[in-house]
Amino acid sequence: MSEPAIAPVPRRLHPATLVARWLRIVPQMGAAGIAILATGRGTGITFFLLFLAFALAVGALFAFLYWWRFTYVVGVNEIVIEKGLLRRQRRVIPFDRVQDIAVEQRLLARLFGTAKVKIETGGAAKDEGSLDMIAIADARALRDLVRHGPRAADVAAQAPVEEPVLFEMGLARLLYSGLFGFSLVFLAVISGALQQLDQLGLFNWSDWFTPERADQAAHFVTLRLAFILVGLVLALGLIAGVARTAARDFGFKLTRTEKGLRRKRGLFTLSEVVIPLRRTQVALIESGAIGRLLGWYRLSFQTLGADQKEGGVQVAAPFARMEEILPILAIAGFPEPPPRQDFRGVPRRAIVRQAAPALALGALAVAASLWFDARAGIVAAALLVLAILAVLRWRKHARALGDRALFVSSGLLKRRLWIVPYEKAQTIQVSRGPIQRALKLSNLLLDTAGSGSLRSPEMHDLDEGEAEQMAGRLLALFYDARARVRATA
Amino acid sequence: MADEIQDEESAAPAAAMTPLHPNHIWVLAIRAGLFASLLVIAAFAADLGPLRRTPIPPLVLPLVVLALGLLATLVLPRRRYRRWGYKEGEDELEIRRGMVMRVRTIVPFGRVQHIDVAQGPIQRPFGLATLILHTAGTQGAAVPLPGLDHSAAEAMRDRIRAKIRQDLV
Repeated sequence: MSEPAIAPVPRRLHPATLVARWLRIVPQMGAAGIAILATGRGTGITFFLLFLAFALAVGALFAFLYWWRFTYVVGVNEIVIEKGLLRRQRRVIPFDRVQDIAVEQRLLARLFGTAKVKIETGGAAKDEGSLDMIAIADARALRDLVRHGPRAADVAAQAPVEEPVLFEMGLARLLYSGLFGFSLVFLAVISGALQQLDQLGLFNWSDWFTPERADQAAHFVTLRLAFILVGLVLALGLIAGVARTAARDFGFKLTRTEKGLRRKRGLFTLSEVVIPLRRTQVALIESGAIGRLLGWYRLSFQTLGADQKEGGVQVAAPFARMEEILPILAIAGFPEPPPRQDFRGVPRRAIVRQAAPALALGALAVAASLWFDARAGIVAAALLVLAILAVLRWRKHARALGDRALFVSSGLLKRRLWIVPYEKAQTIQVSRGPIQRALKLSNLLLDTAGSGSLRSPEMHDLDEGEAEQMAGRLLALFYDARARVRATA
Repeated sequence: MADEIQDEESAAPAAAMTPLHPNHIWVLAIRAGLFASLLVIAAFAADLGPLRRTPIPPLVLPLVVLALGLLATLVLPRRRYRRWGYKEGEDELEIRRGMVMRVRTIVPFGRVQHIDVAQGPIQRPFGLATLILHTAGTQGAAVPLPGLDHSAAEAMRDRIRAKIRQDLV
């Protein structure tokens, strides 16, 4: 089976690509057709059908051209991809640069027995090399070729090595975890769809929600009906959460490979990703308010140049007990979080900083409610709640300097615990704004590769002197850790 | 005078820092001046046109913008310049900057991916350049150090490069 994979002949994608690409165009064209019809000058159904037929033909032509002009050659040491109709692009990816090959099977791909292959080299480019789609057997052969070299390809194909399983989710736990994924996203989806229709002129809010109708409806709304409605919405939210989780994490399995952790999951879309251990930067343990009470956590790793869809963060265990997470952490080379008493919080005056903006705005809102509009009082109350939340959040923000890593925890309801090994630091940054300066507070950030800018293990509102001191200490720990890593390597 | 008193209060840690080249004040002033004059022109244009339909009396907006522009061009550059400083250590570069938001960044040389020496059109006549250290980090992906003498920036780049090479060995 690996014989054709090595022969250096240009090959095309699986013919099913034609159908897949064509189908991808249809909904857009359909929407465009409806839009034209809606704005349209009443040209009627014949025009619509003609337009649709034309669009489908054009779509088919483009799909064919893409398929026809896309070739790839699997050589002994590299893969060469050539594509593009007018602007030809030839990309050579040497195998020793490839970090990993991710194989993803969407529903349609599974019907055809094909898969999308993503070649990740760890560069900055989003789409470094993807073969969408090739036969599943070819995808596996290519993956084995890259992972084990040309000689091992046959061995690997014939006798798949049993990889030790680190974490697995059975159906019961999967469904249970879905309950925590309670989501009202469907409400947003429905209202979004209605708005879309509104814009297209097929549905009109103001026609529907007239004052008369609201009046009529008000007569129907009894307490019982209201309860039923709320219950229905909640039930739908639960179902949506379970469905979403089940579709994503079905058959979740994390195994240990030679160089990393392999994650397989998915109900409709099967995906297989390897998290290379050498490239993991930061470990993140998250928990929701209710889940934490019941002892459920989620472990993910921030990796360098991994699948950018999830912001460089790969989930390793979506719903697990701490006892299950700790061994995975150990295998990935991250130290265990220290007990709570080893964590240190931030000074009390940080409350002022964190609650000040909300309180200041709240005072303005109170003034506005007195002089202009009483409704501003609602805003004031909301801001007061925000200020209280800020105080509560302040209590949860803490850090600990371990032997090998910095631990930062934050978050009130959704709590995050970052584990940042010292040797992964890229830069160290101390910063303070005007309010912080007045209060002698500072932020401290141990910047790492691949972290999002919104969710980073930045420590907020440390004592100014302490932050400066800690920056120096972190730098020293960074040099020590690097020396240690180099000595073992 | 008032500047100096205020600076003494908050500039204590900057003592051991190397200041930027004094010509950098001119670069900051010209940059601010160009930007401010655009805004002033826009304010005058607005004053002649749309603002006449509002109760705002003539010349109020342009004069306010002009005053702010003069402040940004004549007074602030010197202060902003003073907030900059750097220390080239044995194994890392430390940079302090920022007037409103005070930031101190430490970049270990071992983490530098590549180094740029860039020179903008305003910097060129003053013989200044910006040294940019690129790391694999996120917020610290590119750490700029402006206002260096061009040859000094190049010398610094070569020194850092030599240290990176050592680090790789």
